[in-house]
This record gives sequence, structure tokens and C-alpha cells, in this order.
Amino acid sequence: MAPKITDKKRKAREPESESDDELANGLFDGVLSQSEDEEDYLPSDDDDVDESGSEGSDGSEDEEGEEEDEDDLLSDDIPSDVDGEEEVSKLIRKQGQLKITEPGVDPKPRDDDGEEKNYRVERDANGGERYVYDEIDPVYDSDDSDAQGPVNTIGNIPLSFYDSYPHIGYDINGKKIMRPATGDALQSLLDSIEVPKGWTGLTDVNTGNPLNLTQEELELVRRVQMGLLPNEIEDPYPDTIEYFTSIEEKMPLSSAPEPKRRFLPSKNEAKQVMKLVRAIREGRILPYKPPAEREREEEEQEEVHFDLWQNEEPQAPNPLHIPAPKLPPPGYDLSYNPPEEYLPSKEEREEWENADPEDREKQYLPQKYNALRKVPAWGTLVNERFERCMDLYLAPRVRKNRLNIDPNSLLPKLPSPSELKPFPTVVQTVFRGHEGRVRSVAIDPTGIALATGGDDGTVRVWELLTGRQVWSVKLNSEEPVNAVRWRPAKDSFILAAATGEDVFLMVPAHASVTPALDQTSRDILAVGFGYATNGQQQALPAGKEPPAKWARPGTKLEDEGVLIRITVRSTVKVINWHRRGDHFATVSPTGQRSSVAIHTLSKHLTQIPFRKLSGLAQTAAFHPLRPLFFVATQRTIRCYDLQKLELVKVVQPGAKWISSFDIHPGGDNLIVGSYDKRLLWHDLDLSNRPYKTMRFHGEAIRQVRFHKGGLPLFADASDDGSLQIFHGRVPNDQLENPTIVPVKILKGHKVVSKLGVLDIDWHPKEPWCVSAGADGTARLWM
Amino acid sequence: MPKIKKKGQAGQARNYITRTRAVKKLQLSLPDFRKLCIWKGIYPREPRSRKKVSKSATASTTFYYTKDIQYLLHEPLLQKFRDQKVLEKKISRALGRGDVNDASRLERNAARPDKTGKPRYTLNHVIRERYPTFADALRDLDDCLSMLFLFANLPSTTAVPAKMIARCERLCLEFQHYLIVSNSLRKSFLSIKGIYYQANIQGEDILWLVPYKFNQRVVGDVDFRIMGTFVEFYMTLLGFVNYRLYTSVGLRYPPKFDQLKDDQGAELGAFALEGVNIATNGDVKAITNGEAEHGPDPKVQAEVDKLVQQLRDESDEKAEETEEQAEDAAVEEDKPSDAIDKFEPVAPGGDVLPQPSYSSSDPAQLFSQYTFFLSRETPRQPLEFILRAFGCKRIGWDSVLGEGSFTTDESDPSITHQIVDRPVVQAAVSEEGDGEDNQTAQKIGPNHRYPGRVYVQPQWVWDSINDEEFKSPELYAPGASLPPHLSPFVKPTRGQYDPTIPLEEQQTEGEMIEAQLEEASRMREAEESDVENDMDVASDEDEEDEEDEEEGDFGGFSGEEDEAEGEEDEEESATLQRQRELEAEIAGKSVQAGKKVDAKTKAKLEEKKALERRQRQEAEDLERAKGMLSKKKRKLFEQMQYTNNKKSAEDMKLREKRRKLEKERRA
Repeated sequence: MAPKITDKKRKAREPESESDDELANGLFDGVLSQSEDEEDYLPSDDDDVDESGSEGSDGSEDEEGEEEDEDDLLSDDIPSDVDGEEEVSKLIRKQGQLKITEPGVDPKPRDDDGEEKNYRVERDANGGERYVYDEIDPVYDSDDSDAQGPVNTIGNIPLSFYDSYPHIGYDINGKKIMRPATGDALQSLLDSIEVPKGWTGLTDVNTGNPLNLTQEELELVRRVQMGLLPNEIEDPYPDTIEYFTSIEEKMPLSSAPEPKRRFLPSKNEAKQVMKLVRAIREGRILPYKPPAEREREEEEQEEVHFDLWQNEEPQAPNPLHIPAPKLPPPGYDLSYNPPEEYLPSKEEREEWENADPEDREKQYLPQKYNALRKVPAWGTLVNERFERCMDLYLAPRVRKNRLNIDPNSLLPKLPSPSELKPFPTVVQTVFRGHEGRVRSVAIDPTGIALATGGDDGTVRVWELLTGRQVWSVKLNSEEPVNAVRWRPAKDSFILAAATGEDVFLMVPAHASVTPALDQTSRDILAVGFGYATNGQQQALPAGKEPPAKWARPGTKLEDEGVLIRITVRSTVKVINWHRRGDHFATVSPTGQRSSVAIHTLSKHLTQIPFRKLSGLAQTAAFHPLRPLFFVATQRTIRCYDLQKLELVKVVQPGAKWISSFDIHPGGDNLIVGSYDKRLLWHDLDLSNRPYKTMRFHGEAIRQVRFHKGGLPLFADASDDGSLQIFHGRVPNDQLENPTIVPVKILKGHKVVSKLGVLDIDWHPKEPWCVSAGADGTARLWM
Repeated sequence: MPKIKKKGQAGQARNYITRTRAVKKLQLSLPDFRKLCIWKGIYPREPRSRKKVSKSATASTTFYYTKDIQYLLHEPLLQKFRDQKVLEKKISRALGRGDVNDASRLERNAARPDKTGKPRYTLNHVIRERYPTFADALRDLDDCLSMLFLFANLPSTTAVPAKMIARCERLCLEFQHYLIVSNSLRKSFLSIKGIYYQANIQGEDILWLVPYKFNQRVVGDVDFRIMGTFVEFYMTLLGFVNYRLYTSVGLRYPPKFDQLKDDQGAELGAFALEGVNIATNGDVKAITNGEAEHGPDPKVQAEVDKLVQQLRDESDEKAEETEEQAEDAAVEEDKPSDAIDKFEPVAPGGDVLPQPSYSSSDPAQLFSQYTFFLSRETPRQPLEFILRAFGCKRIGWDSVLGEGSFTTDESDPSITHQIVDRPVVQAAVSEEGDGEDNQTAQKIGPNHRYPGRVYVQPQWVWDSINDEEFKSPELYAPGASLPPHLSPFVKPTRGQYDPTIPLEEQQTEGEMIEAQLEEASRMREAEESDVENDMDVASDEDEEDEEDEEEGDFGGFSGEEDEAEGEEDEEESATLQRQRELEAEIAGKSVQAGKKVDAKTKAKLEEKKALERRQRQEAEDLERAKGMLSKKKRKLFEQMQYTNNKKSAEDMKLREKRRKLEKERRA
């Protein structure tokens, strides 16, 4: 719309310039242009009104509507429709003399307006009418800024075309413009010498005269060059004269009646006021208060008081949430006047003071003041509270289940000691005589004699109860006797002893040995010789060495009662008899393939049952009831069936190095001792892992033994110089577990070069046991 | 091939989150995170295996539950923190530009959030979340009260603004007023750290510590920002708790606060409680010391009494019921009551079912008949609070102790008890003492006593309320050495040392025998010293003998030796005996003295030996039984044994000290 409006404005102004009447309007325009924009449109709107009036008379409905739109939009000063139209028609009537030239409208019909004409009608050469217009007087305010005296109308052609003519062109009325007279050369020379004022040396193109500038024009040029305003004005920025507000006019500018809005209260204002009122009512706008007071009020507002737990709903506590533990209540010692026994003694006080604050059990020392007024402030109260705060937010909380039970309820119900009796408790007899360690002990099946073998290479037989040595033989001067074992049958009195690679079988002389018994024993040993000579044993291919050589040891030893010597391939460490007494097994851990050998006494036969063993054989034993054979390697104990010749079971005690094992006389349980200080009880039916592991020794366990005569006892011997006696009852009921109760620690043997007790043996009937010590003694415990 | 599991993708590693990661996840600064944790009650957890949980190579120290942190993600406070951060940035930027006006405008706007929409938080919802029921809040009130009472007594610094202290003080005093009105204070204890109070509110025992009124020293490394965060939370909590408590006894909260009185040091007296229902009548009463200025006005007093009685009736009808029962037992049978009936077994043989019982003495009535006067050296605040909480209506004190007393005139005839904590001055000084004592209005001699008045030391009040009966005032008379002040919070447990029980009842058998032996030896010493006077020659040897014997004794006591050694011991003592006889012969002295001693101590010695033997036997049995335990159980057993032994060792030490003290006292 805007460009359109300006367009119209321009159009409307064209006629204005013609009449003086409109000059005032023009002046206003200039003045108003300095004031605000809205008002700028005021006069032009009037013009528009005029225009619309003229158009309205033409009866063009469309434009009128358009204009109304414009008016509404542009200013609120526009009168309402009806008034406006009336006014317009009035104006038109009043200002009938207004001359309007519009491009599309012929001026002719306006002739009858009776207005003076600015042209004459003349006859032209053809006799037709010709309008001759008056010279326009180019006054200052005239719009015709181009009319400046006679103007050459030849257009844009070089003046040289007219060189041969006396004139140089034509003015607007077709009259010749005569060439100004030019002086001769001398004149021009003089001219050049006397430069007139305002001489520029240029020639005016239009007139052909030399272009001279007047004083004013020169001044103007100078000013332009200096960057000043072109024409000197006293004050380029005069104060605005507010005609409409400050100057009270005697007459109204417009005769229009006062619009309604001037005397009706404004709805808009009322709206604004209401807005403020509402804000004040709602407290959004506050009356001014000094800041201190305001602050206090705000604080009071801050404390909101209402019942936070109005509709409380108990929630199930989060199981993961652990409430902070409360601080313990103060005890007697925190009192300002505690009972005197709570006061620290001098030493306690010193100890507390010297201790590091973190090491102190309590962070305070009890103190006594005899009057309340003497109690001082507690120095570290703030710190203590701070510590508590830190604990509350930084300490990880862990729920610890405290067992609030009597510790004694943890202890198992044990059979009373009287039920466990009898067991050996004290040393009864000490057998001294061996030089160096006693390596092995054995009590004969009747329980009268004790055989020992030691580092001095001798085998000695003692009276068990008295400790008197009754028989002795030196088997080897270099190597120790590693093992002595009685033949288990009571119908004979045969002792087997191992020293080095030899196993000797002997019939020692003893008071209890009747000649008949002696004879039967010798017979049993001698039977095999006949067998050997009978040639039953020739299966060996030539060139292959037999596993063992059975021979007589020589007359000197034979006189002593040593009757057979069996030589195997490597040092024998262990001898174990079969329960019938016809077989015995020897183990020589260093002998690779032939480490385990089974010897048959009646046939003087030696067999090597295993071609290959996994691991070093440590010890071997026959099952007390069934035809089974147990071999212990370092880690495992293997059980073989002797009849079917197959592996039955592998027991894994979990020990690093098995030293010895023994089979319960019932045949279903096994105890294992190991060099890594463990004693293990195996229930063979239950599992091949241990049922109980007992670790009561500080050193390696050398030997373990069950009591074979019906008492539920077993014992182990250790390098820490002690024997431990256990009560181990195997119930008849298969479902019950065996009960194992440690009953006694027997100390007495001295530890010599880290070796303590090397061997033990139980009495066949009584709860007595014999131990062999590295200190050169054997002891009988009962 | 099974899918290869990545480390830290499942299991414990997902359940825990380190602090650094938690902070990063919440996009907070560490101090803000700390605040949030404190308010929301989020605390670190100890994972079962740190190695499994930590994803980084370096060992992390603090782990939180991931669930906890996720729960924090939805916290409205989080947004407030962020807004605050933005605002701080704006302010600092303005200050950096040198635009102080702008900065102050921003700050001012921050303080008026409802007008400007700028950050400001309340902790109401947090409290509701953490304590879904009022009982939960009461359960956690211990720390809250201790903290606020401490802060109420702190000096104001930049870290602890005076406003915070004032608010703490007000809240604490309001809480005390509730305790006074509802008579729910139960116990109190004067410790070296401060005064412990225990109240029972709605069945919940609350214990807190109030420091003595001194300027608190702050030494060492204390971060008041952390404490301030706690205090902020606790202030809000106690505000709501107070509101609930006040409304539960029919009082209006907040009570009217008289700034003028408070400035004059009235403390409790600066508050005027109003009943909710009474307020409608326009009847406003200051419940505490309303009659303070004018002395006891019987009319006002009666009204106040009535009011208090009314309030109490509303609060706990049950208590009142029992009261009535006590008052008129004769009428009781006729009235139907909703109190618990006592069940008496008719026939023997049934099980006894425990019933809750009300103590015969009502705490509200303990001091109600009396008028107290506090001397100016006594601590006014705790005494006033305790006396009021136990029913005392009229408490006067010296005017230097502050405003709000019933009377400042020491000579007031209505005073029945005076609490004094000053030493008794010697008579010679007392004559001149009048001139010096010019601080009080009336000049009284230092030892001047008003007749008809009970003078006691402050401890009397505490001991009386703890035992819920009047202690004999003679024990607590001024200048008297006080009986020990015992903690009422210690529950006596069997086998633990209890200073209130005579020593003979709690010592072990061994200790008893030892004590008797010592006694005997002491007697003998006395006798022998008599002998010494007669015979100077033999004295040296005698002493030596004694020493020898004692050594023998101690050898026997000190340890658990083997049986063999025990036997040796016996032998030794026998040989010693022989030796003594021989020496006595040489000295020419009759062996009678020694024999006499033997006759006395022999039985004891034998008893001792039997005891030792028994102990040794027991130890051996224990050792055997322990051997049968599995390793795990054995360790547990040993641990328990360790703590028990430690406790009993402490008890033994206490008993020993007491024995010594008693002996000294007797000597």
C-alpha cells in the first residue's frame, strides 16, 4: 500500500504547485516532516480526501473502498465514514477553484469552471487552433526549476554544426538564439590578462558566453568544498515548534466536531489499569519497602509451616537401605563426676597421652570435677560432630550380622572323657641302648616282647614291661635297620628286619619262647629251602636276574638266630606282613620298577607285582580282611585286587607327600599321614577324598597307626617330638559317620636334628603304645 | 563357541558406580553432588569384591549403588542446582565486566524466586521422601537435635551466619517448649562433653547432646560447608517436626516470639504458646512463666494450670487415666476405663506374660509443688528446662541470669528449694564478704541461709529426675562431696561390672579367694608387726619368708601351667613350709605364728588350688573341643572369645581398682 500512497501523493502535489492556495499545504508538509511519522500523513490524507472527493464525483466505487481501508489503517484521526463523506463533499464545494490535472483526465471539461486560462488560442499557419502558453515566470518556489532564461533546444549535438550561422540554436518558442559577439584576438588577449572577477575560463554551453561566477556562487562553491552547508543558515537545527501542543490556537485547525474518544473514558486505559490493580491484589507488585525490612519479611515467608505428614503412608522399608547407626549412649565413665574406679591411673593416663589419637580406644579420658561449675567446655565437640557428619554421608554402610550367641554353643558335643578312656597318658618305660636313632619298633603278637631297629645297624628285642634288653644282633655295620616287623601269627616267633638291600628273617631268643615254639618257627622258615631245591622255581629265563635272592646269612648270624637273608635290588624302607603270615611286602622307594615286592615265605619266592608305578612308592600294606593290596605313592593310594589282579580304587588324600598310612581293622577306613603335617581320615566307602583333615602337628607326620586289638584308638608320630592319640570310633551302622576325638598329646621325645618320633606301634590288646625316637630311645606309653 | 563376555558388563560391576562416574553422570560439581547426597541420604556402599567392581586400573575408593544414582537423576533439586550454576556464571560475568549494578540485581533477583522465577529450593519433598511417616522422622531425630543444639551455641562467623544460628536457637527452644508441655523428657545426664537429654516422644526414645554454655572452640580441620548442608536439612526437618508436635498437643505453631524479651535473655520465656482452640476466644496465654513479672498471681496461675491440664489431657489420655486411678482408687472399680487391666495368675503353673506398666510417679508432677531459686553461679538454661519439663511452675533466678524469672528476689518466702553451686566460705571471710557481693540487689552473707528452704547442688536435680524420686538433699548439700553421678542410659547386663552393686556380689570366685587371702596376709602382717616389737632379731628373716611365700602364691595365680607344674608347686610349698619351720627353730622362735597363719590360710589355699585345677581342666577340655571345630567356626569362636575376654578384663580392672579404693577407705 505504502508505495501506492506515495505515488498518489506525488500526483496530487502536481496541481498544488500551480495555486498559491496550496502553498500553505506545502509549507506544512515541510514542517511536519520533521515531526513524527504518523502526523506526516495528516495533510496528505487531506489531499487524499480531496482526491477521493473528485473521484467520488466520478462515481468510482472501488477506489473509494480502497481508500477507506487505507484511512482506517493509517490513522485514528480519520472521521467515521458518514461524517467523512459529508465533509468531503463540503470541501469540494468550498474549494471548487482547486485545479487538478490528472494524467488520464482531459482538462477541457473544466473550462466551464470559469477559471482564468494560462494560454491563448492562436491560429497557426494552417489555420488550425494553436495553444500558446504564457511564459512561465520561474519564481523561486516554482516547480519549473528548468526554466532558466532562453534555453537552447537544439539537443545533444555539437555546436560546431552552427558555426556557419549567426545563431547557435533555438529557444523553447522556436526563436533563434543569436551568437554572442566575440572580440578579436587582441581583445581576447587583454581579456586573458585582466581576469575579471568570477572568471572561470569556461564557456557556457547554452549561451556561448564565457562562464563567469558571481560572488555568491563562488562563496557557494567554497562552502561546498569546505564541506559546509551550501547556503549559510544561522541555525541548521532549530528547536521544534510544537504547534499542536504548545501553541494554543484561537481557532481550531479543523472544524470537525470533537471525536467521541476525546470525552469517553478509554477502554484500553481501563484495561491497563485493571492489569495493575490485579497485579497489586495478587501481590505481584509490592509497595516499596526498605531492603532490611523486606529481607526480614522474606525470611518469615521462607518458614512454611504445614503438616508434612498429613496423609502419611507407611512404606515397607527398602531392603537395600541401611539406616545410620545411632551413636552409643554415654556410659558411666563420661560422667562429670564418675565413680572413682573409672578414673584412669597414672600409667593409664600416660599411655593414653602418648598414644597416637588414632590408636586410642577411647577419645576421652574420664575426669572428675567436684562441682558442676568447674566443668569446662569440651574442646573437640565441634570436631566430633563433624566426624559424625562425615560418617553419615561418606562412610560406606555394611550390614554386619552380629552373632549374639554364647560362644560355647559353637563347640561340638563331645563324648565325656570317661567314655573315651582308656588311652595312653604317661610314659611307662624308656628303652635305652641304641646308638643313634631308633628307626622302627614293633611289639610281638603276644604283646610280651618289643623289637627295635636303629641307626647302629642292630636289631634288639626287649622285655616290654620292664625295658630289659633280652636279645640283640648286629645285622649291618654301615647301614641302619630301617624296619622291624613281627610275623603276625601267634604260632611262631619270627621277626623280619630290613637293613640296606637285605631283609633278614630271624627267630630271636626270648624267655617266652619255648623250644617247641622255637622249633616251629625255624621250621616255617626252613620250609622254603626245600621248596627252592625241589626246583619248583625255575621259570626264570637264563640271564635275567631274579627279583630277590633267598639265602642263609652265614653261620655267625645263624647262631644268633638270623636264619634267612633276602637280598633285593634297592634299599628296603618298609615291611608289612599279610595277616596270615605267609606273605610280606617290602617297599624300597628308590628301586624304580621293583620298588614294591611281595615275598612268599613258604616258597622263598619274591614277586614284583607292578611293572610300572606312577610316582614313587612310599609304603604298601595288605587289607586286613580281603585280598586287597594298597600301595601309596607320593600323592595317591592305590588299591589292587590280588585275585583279579586289577586296580580297584584310587584314594586321593590331597596331601603333597604321603609318609605312611594304616588301614582300620574293620577294613573300611584309612588314615594317612603326610610330610606336610596333615593327618587324613578316609572313609573308603564314602569317597576317595578325605573325610576329616587334622592338622595339629607343627612338623611332618612320620607314622600313623590304628590300634589292632579292638580299642577305638589311633596315633600319629611327628617330627615335632610328640605323639597324638585320637579316639576314632567306627560305628557298626553304615549310615553313621565315624567320630574322631583328639584325646592326648604325648610329649617326651626330644627333637634331634629336626627329627622327632620316627615310628609307633600299638600293643595288640592293651591301650599301650610304643614310640621310636630320634633321640635314641623307645618309649612305652600306657 | 560361547559368546565372549566383556569385563564390567554384567553382575556386580553394573550394580556399583564410582563417585567420579556418578558425578559425571549427574553433570554436577562435586560440592553439589555432596549436598545432594547429604539431603537425599545417599551413602557409599562397600562392594563384596572391590576388584570385580572397579573398572579402572587404579583402585577406586568410593562406590555407590547405580540404582541410587539413577534415582538421583530424577531429583527436582538437580535442576535447581543447574539453575544456580547458571546464575552464578551470570553474576561472575557481570562482575568481570565491572558491572556491579547488574550483579547485585541478579543476586537480588535470586533471593526472590517467586517474583523472578530464579533458583531457590525447598527441602520439603526430600524430607517427605526420606521419612514417609512421622515415626521415621522421630527415629532419626538424634543427630538432628545434637547438631542444631550445637549450632545454636556456636559463635557466628562467615561460615556460620548469624541468621542460621538464630534460627537453630529458635527451633531448639520451640522443641524444648513442646517437651515441657508434653512432659516427655525422661532422663538427663551431666557428662564431660555436655548434657545428654533423653525424651520419649510417641514411644520413640530420642537422645541428644547439648554443649555447656561456653564459647565453642573450633580446632583442626572442620568444613563448615558440609556441616551447613546438614544443618540446612535438619532445620527444615525440625521445623516440620515441631509443627506436627505442636498441633498434636493442640498448640499453634509457630508460637509467638517476643523479640524484646529474647534480647534481654529470656530464652524459653520469649515464647508464648497459644492453644489452637483457645485462640478462637481471643485468649492468648504465655504458658511459660506468664506470671513472671508480677509474681504469682493466683488467678492467672489457676488459668494457666487449667490450660496446661487441658492440653495434657488431650495429649495423653492414658497417662491421665492412670493418674486418676492413683488418685481415687476406691472409685476405680465402678468406672469403666480403657486402660490395660492387670492380669493376675489365679493358679500357679502358667506362663507369665509381660505387660506394659506405667511408673507410679508421674514425671509431670515431680517438681510441681515447689518453687525453685537458682543462684547466679548455676547453669540457668538446663536447670530451667529440666525443672519445667518435670512440672515445676515457679522458677526464680538472679537477674544477671536473664529475663523471664518468676522472681529475682532471693528472699522471696515462697521459695522452697535453692540450687547453689558455690563453695562454703569460711566464717572469718564471711563477715567481710558482704561488701564484695554487690552484684545482687540485696546484700546477703555468703553463708546466709534462709530458713525453711532446701539448699542443694545442681546434681540433685539430675539424680532426682533420673531416679524419678527425690534424693536426700543432705547428700547434695552445698560444699558436700557429691555421690558419683551415674549415667541413666547404661542397661545393666549380667556379668558386667556395675558400680551400684556392692563388690562382693559381682566378683568372681578366684578374685574373692584372692581378696580373702590378701586380707589374711594383711592381718598376719599386723600380727607380725606386733611380734616384731617384741623380737627385733627375727624380723629380717620373717620378712624374707613372707616374700618367699607371696611369690609362691603369685606363681600359682598367674598362669595356666601344666598339671606337672601344679604338682611341683605343691611340692614347693611343702618344702617352703619345712624351710620355714627349720628357720623358725634356728631363730628360737616358736613356729606357732606360722602355724596359726597356716590354719587360717590353709583352707583358702586349698580352695584356690582346687579352683586352679578345675580351671586348668576346663581349659584343656576347651582346647580339645576347639580342635574339633572347623577352621571357620574356630576363628569365629576365637573372635567371640577375644571380645568377651577383653570386656571381662576391663571389668576385672575396674573391680580391682574399686577393691583398692574400698580398702583405702577402710584403712
